[in-house]
Amino acid sequence: MSDILSVRDLGVSATIGGASVPVIHGLSFDLAPGKILGLVGESGAGKSMVGRALAQLLPPGFAIASGACLFEGRDLVAMAPERRRALLGREIAFIPQSPQTALDPLRTIGQQFDEQLRHAGAGARSERRERVLAMLAAVHLPEPAELVDKYPHQLSGGMCQRVLIAMAFSSNPKLVVADEPTTALDVTIQVRILRLIAEMQQRLQTALIFITHDLRLASRICDEIIVMYAGSAVEIGPGRAVFSARAHPYTRCLELADPATAHGGRALFLLPEQMPGLRALARMAGCHFAPRCPNVTDDCRGTRPMLTPVGTGHSAACLRLSATSAITAAEVKGAAAEDGAHKPLLRVEGLSKRYVTAGALFGRSEVTAVRNVDFSIAENEFVALVGESGSGKSTIARLLVGLEAPSSGRILVDGRDLTGSSRETHALRIATMQMVFQDPQSALNPRRRIASIVTQAMEAGSRHVSREERVARTRELLVEVGMSPELATRYPPQLSGGQRQRVNIARALGARARLLVADEIVSGLDVSVQAQLLNLLFRLRAELGFAMLFISHDLSVVRYLCGRVLTMYRGEIVEQGKTAEVFANPQHPYTRALLAAVPPADPAVRWAALDSA
Amino acid sequence: MDMLKRCLRSGRVMVGLGIVLVILFCALFAPYLAPADPNDQDLLHILLPPAWMADGDSAFPLGTDSLGRDELSRLIYGARTAMTVAIVASFGAMAIGSILAHVAGYFGGAIDWIIGRVVDVWMSFPPVIFSLILMVGLGTGLDKVILAIVLVDWTRFCRVLRSEVLVVKQRDYVAAARLIGFSHWRTVTREVLPATLPLLITLVSLEMGIAVVVEAILSFVGLGVGADLPAWGQMIADARQHIYDSASGLFFPILAIFLTVTGFNLLGDGLRRALDVRLISAREQ
Amino acid sequence: MLATLLQLLARRLVASIPILLLVCALLFSILRVLPVDPAAMSMPPTATIAEIDAKRRDMGLDQPLPQQFLIWLRDAVHGQFGRSIQLRRDAGALVADTLPATVELAVMAMVIATVLGLGGGLLLFHLRGSKLEIVADIASTVLLSIPEFLWALFLLFLFGVVLHLLPFAGRLPPDFVRPNVTGFLLLDTLLVGRPDMFWAAVKHMILPAFALGLAFSPAIMRVLRSSLLDVYQEDFIAQLRLRGLSEGRILIGHALKNAILPTLTLMGVQFGFLFSGTLLVEVIYSYPGMGNPMVDAVRNADLPIIQAVGLTYCIVVLLITIAVDCLYLVLNPKLRRH
Repeated sequence: MSDILSVRDLGVSATIGGASVPVIHGLSFDLAPGKILGLVGESGAGKSMVGRALAQLLPPGFAIASGACLFEGRDLVAMAPERRRALLGREIAFIPQSPQTALDPLRTIGQQFDEQLRHAGAGARSERRERVLAMLAAVHLPEPAELVDKYPHQLSGGMCQRVLIAMAFSSNPKLVVADEPTTALDVTIQVRILRLIAEMQQRLQTALIFITHDLRLASRICDEIIVMYAGSAVEIGPGRAVFSARAHPYTRCLELADPATAHGGRALFLLPEQMPGLRALARMAGCHFAPRCPNVTDDCRGTRPMLTPVGTGHSAACLRLSATSAITAAEVKGAAAEDGAHKPLLRVEGLSKRYVTAGALFGRSEVTAVRNVDFSIAENEFVALVGESGSGKSTIARLLVGLEAPSSGRILVDGRDLTGSSRETHALRIATMQMVFQDPQSALNPRRRIASIVTQAMEAGSRHVSREERVARTRELLVEVGMSPELATRYPPQLSGGQRQRVNIARALGARARLLVADEIVSGLDVSVQAQLLNLLFRLRAELGFAMLFISHDLSVVRYLCGRVLTMYRGEIVEQGKTAEVFANPQHPYTRALLAAVPPADPAVRWAALDSA
Repeated sequence: MDMLKRCLRSGRVMVGLGIVLVILFCALFAPYLAPADPNDQDLLHILLPPAWMADGDSAFPLGTDSLGRDELSRLIYGARTAMTVAIVASFGAMAIGSILAHVAGYFGGAIDWIIGRVVDVWMSFPPVIFSLILMVGLGTGLDKVILAIVLVDWTRFCRVLRSEVLVVKQRDYVAAARLIGFSHWRTVTREVLPATLPLLITLVSLEMGIAVVVEAILSFVGLGVGADLPAWGQMIADARQHIYDSASGLFFPILAIFLTVTGFNLLGDGLRRALDVRLISAREQ
Repeated sequence: MLATLLQLLARRLVASIPILLLVCALLFSILRVLPVDPAAMSMPPTATIAEIDAKRRDMGLDQPLPQQFLIWLRDAVHGQFGRSIQLRRDAGALVADTLPATVELAVMAMVIATVLGLGGGLLLFHLRGSKLEIVADIASTVLLSIPEFLWALFLLFLFGVVLHLLPFAGRLPPDFVRPNVTGFLLLDTLLVGRPDMFWAAVKHMILPAFALGLAFSPAIMRVLRSSLLDVYQEDFIAQLRLRGLSEGRILIGHALKNAILPTLTLMGVQFGFLFSGTLLVEVIYSYPGMGNPMVDAVRNADLPIIQAVGLTYCIVVLLITIAVDCLYLVLNPKLRRH
């Protein structure tokens, strides 16, 4: 049977400042009918661009520079736009990344689905309606007949994604491209959507391209995986093989930088810097991974490596493939996740927060965001707060630092009650706790220089601080967080995501906090950047000493970083205890659901949640 | 100061600023530029057309009005009236409007509600009607016109800036500043104000154009700066009475108002584009 | 949805009452802080002080302010707005006489502004990325700078005086007798079966209506264009393309509806300004609406007229805002309660 899709030497370039920079280079692969291909890479690797290139809907400034994409023998690149547009939505379908923004907010689900079917040529109105209801039922949505009259904002993210999946598969396409379809969803929903996609694909035997940043996830459902780095394929092979027998140094380093694989006291592998940006790429002659590769030689910098076979159907683009398995990470983490007994620093008793929302017309409703929460944090202890969206974890963060006032309950620091808004409690709170915000874009004032941000605490005091003092402290803090002091004169928009997060942390430390409240500070970061930050946190704790309430939804990071964990569900803490114990033996059903939603680290172990009906 | 560089590179800003500066120049140096005293009546030479036309007189380059006063001089001194009103009134409206907007947006709660309701009621009054009625109450005169404009237009600043303050306030760095220990005053001046400043500057520029128009309307109706100060609106009213005799008397003040307002609008629009952070980051991507 | 609409309407109307009361109070207090004495102004120059005092008592101006306000309010609720000093007419009757003409003019101008505004906005949007874009952009900024009173003068000058194409004074040629059935002239001329009069009336309205329409359409054009630009940045537009829909279908079926919402909000504001802009335009064109009596009253400190007409302008503008809010609710499903 001939391949559904045959991509030959695909090249996409962007025009930046007049020059043409390759974004994707020399990509070739084949996709047989009914098979699933995974395109795996970190942000900026070019994986999403491949999907757009297939549809020829590239952002302005980007264009296909070379190569061919043969869909059932016809070249998509050379095809007339009208014919290509006719294929989209019928034979080639897309499943988007953020489901709720992917639908027109002013039209009902039914209207949009119907429009799609009309485009796909699905017959008379009554037939179309039947089909809509049938597809909505096929994706396990409740009460399809009522759902068709609802608007997107009335559905949850997961439900919207099911609708989009239904729409994608409704025309019985030959190829479906799923671009990070689960990234924007909660963890427990993710696995269900994955299961649904796999189910639909199996039933209709559609060829599927699954784009993701998570190699472990891809290995579970993809027949073949392509690992992309800086616009080219660095490793290709069967899903399981690429995952367990990683051939390319980059893939291997990713494995070692992934906290899920760091058992015992092993430190995370630190990949220096980050993936080269487009401008840097233009200047590189040899292997794109050379600047970061632990096995690099001078040859690597001059010659671009070709894909070399390492096993059946498995190849990698490296000049020194045999050296890959030699890459290891340091043995000891530096500071163990478990700490000895320490003095208690923070205690929270009976904390609750209720919000009164004005109803649409008359009447008010009350929402309890946090209900009767008790926990404590000792000095130098890293405690994780785990939960999904709407669980109340961000509210707890805001209550702790004083951005919100609790409806009831107490917050005690060193035994002193912080509730109430007197000047002393405010001063005590500021001296003890600082927040590291999630979104570095929003957390750093784009009009302040880095130097001014990290020493911001010095501006607050009544004592006048001399310029020399500030400069000295800036240097001290930047070095502390592993940044070059030259960056002090830059502005936040000129820094990368990882660097901004470091500045965020530096600012909190600059205020000499004893407890950091970190709200999702590593989510959305690449694995390599995440590893750098996690290592940084350990090092800082060893040198400066501070406790942390680490809010996250990523269980493998939590397991690596934090000695104790609290699970939150709908405003209540449903389970707490030492991380190792809770994860090994979860008591509460919600904790169990959270753990089940993550693919097991060992590829040989079956992932129950994905298989069960 | 790369913001300054961005502004200077913008064509709109340069053209708008150019026009405004020309008018400002006329206003400042009116006594030296005008060929005659604008209030000098010469009843022997009323309603003359411009000098280059058939019945024109070279002593009156742009002609005369119904009382024999030199049109060109009145036009130049009218610029003085217009610019004085524009600058003083818009800064006054800006001062009141932006202070209340920042207080309302930053503190929220009851203060925001009260200020919001006051602005709502105030703005229910259509501006043209409101300023006319205020002039009835205040009487005519340059200072009264400025006061009337300030009293009517501060609400526009308040409403627009308040939305912007609300957006900025949501940003985490404002919360972070409070957590570091900044007082409210310091947080507003160091974190919020620099972010709202671009919008403020744009609004002031646009307000100047609006003020020129309002002053012209009030002078047209006869409730403006008074009979002894030359004003473009008054020149229009006069010319309209004698439209068949002196069409040029209508043309030049209209042109003057149009150019001045266009200048301020181009400047304001150009500033908005140059300083809007969202536009900038989109362009730089 | 109908229920939500009616609820919104009821709520807004009820909320308008305190606003109107406060507006009246504001109006009232401003007018009592006069540098001139209305009593003296309404008497001939030879009047004695005693006569002026008597007149002042007669007008009720000697009483404390709040009392004057309450008396006025009580009368107003009964439809009595006092008698104009200068014109010796009932102020309420004057408003009833002139309001329809202003409303007709405003409606015609709103139609013109909508057509020009939306059409121009689509055109500006269509030109994006082309060489003409900058030209169109500058043109719209320049057009934005021309207030209605300059447009009125300019159109009068060009089409009335120079080109003699269109009439620019009054509503009908002097030899026509005005029919009076509903008060709305255009309607009346059709009702009495005089199409020639209808067209004459329309011709008289063209210049003032276009002056207003041209003044207020650039803002609408620009907002529609920028709203469309914003909508096209949204994720779902890219998704629609990925699903194979044509650009035309995307624009008409999806983008426009989304872009209309913020445009509608602005149009509401603009129409409020438009209605109050009729004042000046009517003065310039000697159009028998509320504008001329208001300006005369303002010059002569004729308080009853100022109060009655001023209040009428406020009420109409408030009604326009409420109407636009209701329309917004109809179009935006996110605001409806489910």
